[in-house]
Amino acid sequence: MPRTSSGKKVTNKTVNKKDIAQLLNQWRQEFAVLVPSLATGVARLASWDGTDTSFMDWYRNTVIPPKANLLPPVEEMFSFHKDGEGYHIELPPSDGHQQLIFGIRPCDAKALAILDMTFKDIYEDPYYLSKRSNTILVGLGCTNPYDSCFCTSLGSSPTDSTDVDLMLTDIGARFLVEEITDKGKELMANISLAEEATEADEARAQAAREAAYNKVTRQLDTTDIGQKLLVNFDNQDYWEKIAAKCISCGICTFFCPTCYCFDINDELVKNRGERFRSWDSCAFPLYTKMPMENPRLEKWRRVRQKVCHKYEFYPIDFKVVACTGCGRCIRLCPVNWDITQALANLPAKVRA
Amino acid sequence: MTATDISHRSRFLAQGNVYLPHLAVIKKIVDETGDTKTFHLNFKDDKLQGEFTFNSGQFALFSVFGIGEAPFVISSSPTRSDHLEITVRRVGRVTNALHRLGVNAEVGFRGPYGNGFPLDLLSGKNLVFIAGGIGLSPLRSLIWNVIDNRDKYENIDIIYGVRTPADLCLKYDLESWNKDKTLDMVTTVDEGDESWIGRVGVVPAILEQVAPSAKNAVAIVCGPPIMIRFTFPVLEKLGFAPEQMLTTLEKRMKCGIGKCGRCNIGNLYVCRDGPVFTYAQIKQFISSEY
Repeated sequence: MPRTSSGKKVTNKTVNKKDIAQLLNQWRQEFAVLVPSLATGVARLASWDGTDTSFMDWYRNTVIPPKANLLPPVEEMFSFHKDGEGYHIELPPSDGHQQLIFGIRPCDAKALAILDMTFKDIYEDPYYLSKRSNTILVGLGCTNPYDSCFCTSLGSSPTDSTDVDLMLTDIGARFLVEEITDKGKELMANISLAEEATEADEARAQAAREAAYNKVTRQLDTTDIGQKLLVNFDNQDYWEKIAAKCISCGICTFFCPTCYCFDINDELVKNRGERFRSWDSCAFPLYTKMPMENPRLEKWRRVRQKVCHKYEFYPIDFKVVACTGCGRCIRLCPVNWDITQALANLPAKVRA
Repeated sequence: MTATDISHRSRFLAQGNVYLPHLAVIKKIVDETGDTKTFHLNFKDDKLQGEFTFNSGQFALFSVFGIGEAPFVISSSPTRSDHLEITVRRVGRVTNALHRLGVNAEVGFRGPYGNGFPLDLLSGKNLVFIAGGIGLSPLRSLIWNVIDNRDKYENIDIIYGVRTPADLCLKYDLESWNKDKTLDMVTTVDEGDESWIGRVGVVPAILEQVAPSAKNAVAIVCGPPIMIRFTFPVLEKLGFAPEQMLTTLEKRMKCGIGKCGRCNIGNLYVCRDGPVFTYAQIKQFISSEY
């Protein structure tokens, strides 16, 4: 069932939808404000231009997930140059600016919480975590989830406020505004256009949450999923079958909000060199290629890695499935590969 | 025998950033075989050179600036710590670039990473080292460490195999281990020549002939994946339990710290949870993931 943000009695606020531009402008005084945008031809978060709020009409979710704003597709790690004394290494200038992501969906906010675990694990990743600590998340609950969405199977909901700082729920002409964290509370501290939510507003919000929850019809049974995958690890028939139509394009991983694999490379430009990292994908045979060996040369092994990493290995490490049910891998797959179908066909026990 | 204590691991971060390399200078280059060289390195920063410590079996990411990084196990022993050594076979982009460098060239160094060998669990045991080809290099640090603390360990066996006599690495070490009366060493080649007087046969077959006892013993295995896969069953036949078999694995690796994703075997990352594993830890996955 839909969750409420906390057990405590707090007074929520409301903001009129037509005042959103004003609200964003006020925040823009302090933060780089990112909103869903079609400016590049593909739905993604982009710097707000100060006027356009048309995303409120078309926005269901971005194609490019918000991870791209914290783990950019290509990112300089440092530069180096050589002189008579040898090599010198220089970090890129850190802008240290605060960014506010407006309209992040609950599935994508949860994905960032999942990414945090890897990037904090043992060694802190300074590039991701510095951006993360400078990012404020203003969530916007879904009213119109896709047919490919299955967040409710992963313990979440289209209006889940767990992983955002401020949560907005569509209640008609207005948004109900819940201050989830202290950061969220500060965001609303000087917003005079906000009003106190009435009981009727709260009732409308609750109805909206339930309606959204019920619109997510796709289901994935995650009961004992890790154990089922473990016993099927060597079930090559199963993996070959579900991998058969995959074309190893990597789209499901690049657009997955929880996929984080990256490559590190050097590039030389005249006397200066740069070490950069870039998104990589377990769908590619080169990903694991060593000069003499490749443990995942065959496609079914790579598909197995992707599925097991999310549903078996990540839960062992971090007690959470590395999938939020955002459905991008289903919507965007050029050959209609479907993780929910693949896992539904997973044998409970391996044939003897 | 899982990951050792990692609380010390952040000590050698350059500017507090785990991805920034320290600078190291090549002091000496030893030709091992036609395609393998050993590099002796010192940190450029004297203070770091003095403070640096590592465990036998830990690795580091070495970079040739402008070409990229690659992981190598430090093959020198912390018991002989005036410099670091790595033994590198020329097989890919970074290793080829390393081979082109000369003495006094600077390389990048990030590390040490990984767990290293569990010395406390090895002490008081009979040790059986089984290495193939350049797989001797990751065991070398431990072998010297054990020799330098000889009274802490019982019998030591070394079984080392290569394809042909020309492929023998670290001959100067092999010679001194051969002369060492406190350990037993067997070298073997897949294919001998007229000058070869040692054994002929692949490592698993020779291991079966040597047949070291499993009693109070730990086997430490490193070599090409095919050798590792065929060696474990022989050890099992000799009575070694999966917990008595150690190996150090190699996979394609970029970050070295459990983030870039590719070096996993099951839920274990070679960089983060290894590179040293017991067979018990990886048995489930090794047949089809290594």
